[in-house]
Amino acid sequence: MADVLIADDSEFMRNLLREILEEDHNIVGEVENGVEAVEVFKEQQPDLVMMDIVMPIRDGIEATNEIKTEHPEANVIMCTSVGQEEKMKEAVKAGADGYITKPFQKPSVIEAIQDVVPT
Amino acid sequence: MKVDVQSLGTFNQLAHEGAQAATDAMAQMTGIDTHVNVTRITLMERAQLGEQLAGMSLVGIQFNFEGGLTGETVLVFEREKSAAIAEALLGEGASEEMAQSSIEEIGNIMMSGFIDGWAEFLETSIEHDPPTYVEGEGEAILPEPPTDTERNQVFVFRSEIQWDGEDVSFYIYMLPEYEPLTALMAEHSGASEDAIPVEKLAAFNEMTREGARQAAGNVEMMTGIETEAEISQISFAPIEDIPKQFSDEVYVGTVVEFVGAPSGFLLVLFDEQSAITVAEALMPVEMDSEELTDQHKAAIEELGNIMTSGFVDGWANVLQQSVEHTPPRVVHDMGRAVIDPLAAQLGQFQQHAFLIDSKMMTEELEFACEITALPNEQELREALEQLDLDRTTETQADVEDIFGA
Repeated sequence: MADVLIADDSEFMRNLLREILEEDHNIVGEVENGVEAVEVFKEQQPDLVMMDIVMPIRDGIEATNEIKTEHPEANVIMCTSVGQEEKMKEAVKAGADGYITKPFQKPSVIEAIQDVVPT
Repeated sequence: MKVDVQSLGTFNQLAHEGAQAATDAMAQMTGIDTHVNVTRITLMERAQLGEQLAGMSLVGIQFNFEGGLTGETVLVFEREKSAAIAEALLGEGASEEMAQSSIEEIGNIMMSGFIDGWAEFLETSIEHDPPTYVEGEGEAILPEPPTDTERNQVFVFRSEIQWDGEDVSFYIYMLPEYEPLTALMAEHSGASEDAIPVEKLAAFNEMTREGARQAAGNVEMMTGIETEAEISQISFAPIEDIPKQFSDEVYVGTVVEFVGAPSGFLLVLFDEQSAITVAEALMPVEMDSEELTDQHKAAIEELGNIMTSGFVDGWANVLQQSVEHTPPRVVHDMGRAVIDPLAAQLGQFQQHAFLIDSKMMTEELEFACEITALPNEQELREALEQLDLDRTTETQADVEDIFGA
């Protein structure tokens, strides 16, 4: 059971992710922008961050970059509606470990997590 | 073949003035006051022509024209309201045959004025056939667009004429043949830096259609409701006319500002009932509410976000650039009230606008949705300049390829 932080500005999407994940994982926090994501990551040191890209105040790629710079061992999966090749490359550059495009089905989320944080 | 913003603007103005001349002729003959609400030039797939007329019972007159410009034009009235026009001309109690004849004649006079205006501007002659009375349901009343074996998109000039004080509109459609029209546009083009190759505009339109299909697929995956992208078209109109193309109906949806190639605004709008239906299909628990709640709006906010990405990601991937967009802002207002401030913001920098719109709906009419993009005109031109026609099908990015590399 991995400790997971969910970062998404949409309450609807946070709820959806929580429902998918809480059966097998421990949700340690839910935040709605990149600044909060970095703060809560530092406090909680979760095994995995499910990180949206388009968020207010600070986007998910910047937040991922900071988390991975300071904690290279951190695991971050981008979980976003953005399906642009250039954005995916930016995510790779920032250190993201996986990328799920919304809308998603539960099996694809489980599979992506399994690839990054094997149980 | 290239067109530029100046020639599109000139041709739009010409169509608008022609429609105004036609309405003046009608006012003179019938005493019915009308005005031309909006004129737009649209590049669309021929199969989608006339979707605005869906569900209407119509009569009108149609004729072919040829010369400096070649094609077909049609003026249509709602069947029920055409009786008022006939009555204004003939008085009460005229026979059906006479009423039809009067509609034919008024249509002939109106549309002759419309075509003559074009001929005068183009300093050429345009001949036209005697008018034919037409009647039919919805888009079936329109003539087949000119045949063209090389392309499936057509330019359509459409003017909407509003009967003052009445909830009644008439429509003038002009369907010119593609090659003569684009040749004329090229002749009347201005500064070369404004020029847009027509082929690229058509390719962009096709990319937009693909974006709409992607957005429809996203809705279907999230809601389980089978959804199809029905319409995709790119129109050109004066910026001040853009809000007039939206109804006073109340919509619920999202607005995002996107920045990249190009920048602009993108709206995803549902009518209220559709918004409730779609939102409830998204929710894990049954709501069964007739009122729009904050939970519905939260669901629509996320759906709008995902649909926006589905729509613009294809542009970014084909252009090999990124298009950033802001988090969605939920709107719940009349269509015109939603678009008005956005058009005003773009209007600080441009006189005309390209309007990219798509509609999607379900087979059993559970909901309907409109996606509208209002890009910065200059940046759209720049993006089209960069568009590689060999890459227009490269709308999807391969996550596994990028993350596996």
